[in-house]
Amino acid sequence: MKKSILLLIISKVLLGQTEPLTDLMHVNPRVFVLKNAVVHVEPGQTLPSATVAIRDGLIVAVGSSIDIPGDAAIVDMKGDHIYAGFIDAWADVEPKDLKPSPRSHWIDLVHPEWVASDSYTPDDKTVKERKKLGFTHIHAGLNKGIFRGQTSLIDLDESASITTSTVSQSLDFYTRERGEDGYPGALLGTIAVMRQTLLDADWYEKSQSIYARHPDKNEQPKEDLALATLAMARSKAIPFLFRTAHETAAQRAIDISHEFDLNLWLLGSGYEYRRLTDIAQAKPFIILPLNFPGKPDVTQPQRADQYITEQLKHWDMAPDNARKLVNSGVDIAFTSNGLQDLKQFRKNLSLAIERGLSETAALAALTTTPSKHFGLVKTHGKIKAGYQANFVVVRGSYFDDSNPVQSVWIRGVKHDIDINFNDEFAGEWKFSLDKMQGELTIKSSPYHTAGKIKLDTTTISLNHLKLDGKQISWSAELPKTETPQMIRFQGNWDNGMLSGVAVFADGQEHEWTASSRTADDAETEAPKATTSKLKLSFPEGAFGFEQLPQQPASLFINDATLWTSGPQGIIQNCDMLIEKGKIKKIGKNLTSSRGAQVIEADGKYVTPGLIDSHSHTAGASINEGSQSITSEVRIQDVLDPDDISIYRELAGGLTTIQVLHGSANTIGGQNSVIKLRWGSNAQDLIMKRAPQGLKFALGENVKQSNWGDKNVTRYPQTRMGVEQVLRDAFTRARDYKSNLDNYAKKSKWRKTLTPPRRDLELDPLVEVLEGTRRVHVHSYRQDEILMMLRVAENFGFTVTNMEHVLEGYKVADQMARHGAGAATFSDWWAYKFEVYDAIPYNAVLMQNAGVLVSFKSDSDELARRMNLEAAKGIKYGGMTEIEALNTVTINPARQLKIDKWVGSLEVGKDADFVIWSHHPLSTQAKCEQTWVDGKLYFSLGQNAELLAQDKQIRSDIIQKILKTKDEDRPGASPDPGNHKYQQPYRDDQAWEGGVR
Amino acid sequence: MKRILCLYLILTSWIWASDQIPAAPQSQPILIKGGILHTVSHGVMDGYDLLFEKGKITRIDKNIPTTNEMEIISASGKHLYPGLIAGISALGLVEISAVRATIDYDEVGDMTPEVRANVSYNPDSESIPVTRSNGVLFVNVVPRGGLIPGQSSLMMMDGWTWEDATLHHPTAMHINWPDMSIDLNPKAKVKVSEQEAQRRQRVKDLDDLLDQVRRYEMSQKGTSKDAAHDLRMEALIPYVNGEKPFFIHAWESRQIEAAVRWSKKQQLKIVIVGGGDAGELTGLLKESQIPVIIEGTLRLPRRRNSNYSESYSLPARLYEAGVDFCISTDGSGFAAAQVRDLPNHAAMAAAFGLPLEVALRSITLSAAEILGVGDRIGSLDVGKEASLFISSEDILEITSIVEQAFIHGTKTDMSDRHKNLYKKYQEKYKQLENIKD
Repeated sequence: MKKSILLLIISKVLLGQTEPLTDLMHVNPRVFVLKNAVVHVEPGQTLPSATVAIRDGLIVAVGSSIDIPGDAAIVDMKGDHIYAGFIDAWADVEPKDLKPSPRSHWIDLVHPEWVASDSYTPDDKTVKERKKLGFTHIHAGLNKGIFRGQTSLIDLDESASITTSTVSQSLDFYTRERGEDGYPGALLGTIAVMRQTLLDADWYEKSQSIYARHPDKNEQPKEDLALATLAMARSKAIPFLFRTAHETAAQRAIDISHEFDLNLWLLGSGYEYRRLTDIAQAKPFIILPLNFPGKPDVTQPQRADQYITEQLKHWDMAPDNARKLVNSGVDIAFTSNGLQDLKQFRKNLSLAIERGLSETAALAALTTTPSKHFGLVKTHGKIKAGYQANFVVVRGSYFDDSNPVQSVWIRGVKHDIDINFNDEFAGEWKFSLDKMQGELTIKSSPYHTAGKIKLDTTTISLNHLKLDGKQISWSAELPKTETPQMIRFQGNWDNGMLSGVAVFADGQEHEWTASSRTADDAETEAPKATTSKLKLSFPEGAFGFEQLPQQPASLFINDATLWTSGPQGIIQNCDMLIEKGKIKKIGKNLTSSRGAQVIEADGKYVTPGLIDSHSHTAGASINEGSQSITSEVRIQDVLDPDDISIYRELAGGLTTIQVLHGSANTIGGQNSVIKLRWGSNAQDLIMKRAPQGLKFALGENVKQSNWGDKNVTRYPQTRMGVEQVLRDAFTRARDYKSNLDNYAKKSKWRKTLTPPRRDLELDPLVEVLEGTRRVHVHSYRQDEILMMLRVAENFGFTVTNMEHVLEGYKVADQMARHGAGAATFSDWWAYKFEVYDAIPYNAVLMQNAGVLVSFKSDSDELARRMNLEAAKGIKYGGMTEIEALNTVTINPARQLKIDKWVGSLEVGKDADFVIWSHHPLSTQAKCEQTWVDGKLYFSLGQNAELLAQDKQIRSDIIQKILKTKDEDRPGASPDPGNHKYQQPYRDDQAWEGGVR
Repeated sequence: MKRILCLYLILTSWIWASDQIPAAPQSQPILIKGGILHTVSHGVMDGYDLLFEKGKITRIDKNIPTTNEMEIISASGKHLYPGLIAGISALGLVEISAVRATIDYDEVGDMTPEVRANVSYNPDSESIPVTRSNGVLFVNVVPRGGLIPGQSSLMMMDGWTWEDATLHHPTAMHINWPDMSIDLNPKAKVKVSEQEAQRRQRVKDLDDLLDQVRRYEMSQKGTSKDAAHDLRMEALIPYVNGEKPFFIHAWESRQIEAAVRWSKKQQLKIVIVGGGDAGELTGLLKESQIPVIIEGTLRLPRRRNSNYSESYSLPARLYEAGVDFCISTDGSGFAAAQVRDLPNHAAMAAAFGLPLEVALRSITLSAAEILGVGDRIGSLDVGKEASLFISSEDILEITSIVEQAFIHGTKTDMSDRHKNLYKKYQEKYKQLENIKD
């Protein structure tokens, strides 16, 4: 108690006190000389026996022979290692007493003005635990919201001195809890909010500066602390730190940082190794947790089945992550954040080092790297003259986790660590008491302490075993005493020996001793961990590729029945030559080019790769349903390249899909047309040549008809209201556009008037009005279909596609006249009231009226057999075979305006094709190979290999897990129920997954 | 040519059809001449005639002599099949799954063994004609929800009332086997050991229930005349005695395994429904002679690392291992309107290793056997129900068109809501063309 008061006062004096003394002046000289220590000056530079002189919190000299100041207290530190104080590069802080004010942002999750150090209150226990790990500073950040506020660097001294209050702006891809109202309501909206807010900050700054100059010509812009803070951060190039839960989130952060030219930091996930190249290329500074997963519960085979392969692999591969990042040139700093138990930090750090991370790199990640990025390059992170006297003192090397940290020094003040000797006691000892000789075994873990004594053949377990600092005590009944009695033992650890007294029932004290026998016991020698032997696959988990598919320079399909979906129709015994991923020649009896890879396809059928014009596959977030209009959200921001549905759909011959926003609101979000390039990253999935589109929705979903009785207040609740929402949106977009144009035209305005705000919600609507963005409208009933056509006609644009459009057959003539296409279910009906009149003859009736028709899935399951959906066009209404296949090839390609490149087998087009075992519209047709861009992404043979490989990998890891002791891999086991691949089965009917 | 013919057939049937009218009982013998007979029980017989009278098949032969009273239908080049059978469905118990007022398959309470499906089967459901338009002539309709949702009934896809339409009741008592998986999330609210205890308890609850039923039965046999009655217990007696089967809905391997072991211990007759993981337990299922009703092959693999074709090839795995099974669509409210896709589920199984004739059997005779009516329906055999249909081509191909169905010998109205709306709007576009002209 006394000590802490004293230290508190010291730090105040040290900071330059502005407040008056409450009693008398305290003086505690802070001049020390630390002698004979192993001094780690900086990573890679160690002085084996050196002296460090410090004065008033600063290092004044370091070296093997330095002048010793006469007023210094000299401390002999022989046997100790001194490191610069470690920085725990992340600590979560709960916001405290922060309430919205009139100057707050309108979204409750946007508060960049908050400062972590304002909310930080040191918690004795965690401060103590952190110091025990050698940390002298923490980098603290708030843990609420999307724009979470400014991070701060705080000392771990008693007064929690602030080194820097604003280190970075921290952001999180936060989404609200299920059932919580408010915008944004999904990851889609979260990213849109990030982008809009960053734009708003720029706009805000401009507006304010113009207003300051021309207050007579402008209305005063509303003051907004959030935007002002962000504008300031942007102008000062403050880093933006994104908290990431997995490697895909890291990639999303990278995309945003590129768009806004941000200095990117990541609070890492530990999964970075999976997309190492992409992440390393962006050169972010990564704050890396060392929370390696504990052992999955694989003790029962059926439980092991609950874990997906990537979880099992991560268990083995996670400790290699730090080394891989460092070797790729990424700057990392370590944090204890995310650990279930802080004690695991050093254990996991040792494991990372055993896996090949150099001690130099590890030390840098604790000292110089964070200090460099945190702007403390001249004051923190090294033991050099002029640096702050922040030290970690360890008895031996820090990187042997059995060596305890003795003390940390913060600003020249020593903080002793209460050393727990449990680890010293643990092990086997030769025990003797009087004439008795035996073996004493003590097991100690943070959770459990137990011991036993073996005398000859008898084993006695120790009762009431207690370890307290260097003291040990227990009681036991030993067999060789004359009368059975409990004997109380008490003793001390001293330099590798135990000794003490045994108190017998009669009160007599006998001496006992024990010496360690660990040294001569080879059994306890744990095998050294080696780096994981597992190979990465893309994406991680079953069916990922260890090597991405390669494009043969030249590929020759020999003697197939070609269903071209083009002008050539169906050609028997036809060859196809492919070069560099494009179709070069189609015809009979072609000659293969030299060195071409030849596929003998006699008896096989080849069709274009199938296209699904309405899908939600690979969307990590589908509905931003919180508002009626959310055209600002973009599917491209939330693509999940690891969605297993991509692979499963390839196995059904699908190669291109349009990923659409859901149908929870009238104007949903921006679409993404992707090719199923399994294994690539999110950006490379996108078919960048495809024109942009926007999803609209009408009817029951947008008026929340099936959402239960609580959802009855959002406008619109009727089809009448849906129309007006549309009209209002397009009217606003028109006004917005004319504002932007006028402002851009008049240079005088630009100098004196505040600029119109760029609105990400209205931008895509303007593009619709201008005809550069395609319109896809979820619709069912004829009345709403007609209404949409009329609204579009009034505003002068064309609807590209009606989606679902199950009553399209009732107004097909109007659709044809308007020029709208139809992407429809083949035969779904009766799952809700608005589809009671749905009929499978819909496609044929529309097609006969001149509408361009495609069949689409809207379902990860259906998407695996689109050729059979096409066959229903023949069954219901009698399409020709060619027409039927076209509904899933060239027709959707034309609807998406990508028919220049895909959708048919024609010279010059992308080599996206499928090889079928049978007539492609037969139920017996099996997709044997699927090629995208002239690369083989699926084949039956390869699938069998991948399946066998996965079985082998799982079996190998399970063996390794079973052989690993619990204490060698502590930590929380992964949660098999919660991983990003788990997605609900999706269709318009499945309310669980929301409205599609 | 074929297509024109079938279109003609459809059109002619519309001329009189508005809403579909249930057929009158068969009044004259009907002879179907010269079709390709898929008998299921004894192979394919090309060019044979089939005669049925008073609802039963009376003769299958070449060149059956005709009489004046016979109605003669030529099926030359056409395919003849026994009516297809869906083993599990909510058909008729729901009209529109998003409209609560139309849902009648889930009674309140965890245990409602007393309820029987056929009484709430709506014979005027629009789904019924749509379903039989694709050759599915029998559907086992099943209550859903809770531990014991009730008793199922096998319905014919025609009839004025639910009583007319009931072919067999009850087919089974249904049990939704309790979840046997363990939440391994380290942050799970309930500890693993506690979850294991709860899991044991759930099975014990079932044991206790059976025990109670047995004691109840004893008490009713007792001397006391005023023993109180309990409809739930009454309903369970024939199942607990092993006279009738429990249909146990179980998807995950631990559920299937537990259900099988429980049925053996309790000496019950059971059928596994769902059976997603049944392929992992073929040894146990075969040895215990427990059949499986596969709830659809057209569904997603159960785990991320499952083969993409897992559900397609499940029937072949069971077949190769010698486990009895049939293929059904699933019993959800959503799928009630999609029972017509039943042959597509079997066809997919055939594409992934199940012999074609076994695929056909899995939606006809095998289903009939599992539902306890193998002696009445499921194959083209003399003495069996004349519930059959004529198809333009192989029914396992999507492009096939069912031209005429017969249920219990009666000629079924082949129109349906979809065909009627098709016709109505063809008329619209005809009118528009006339205006243009």
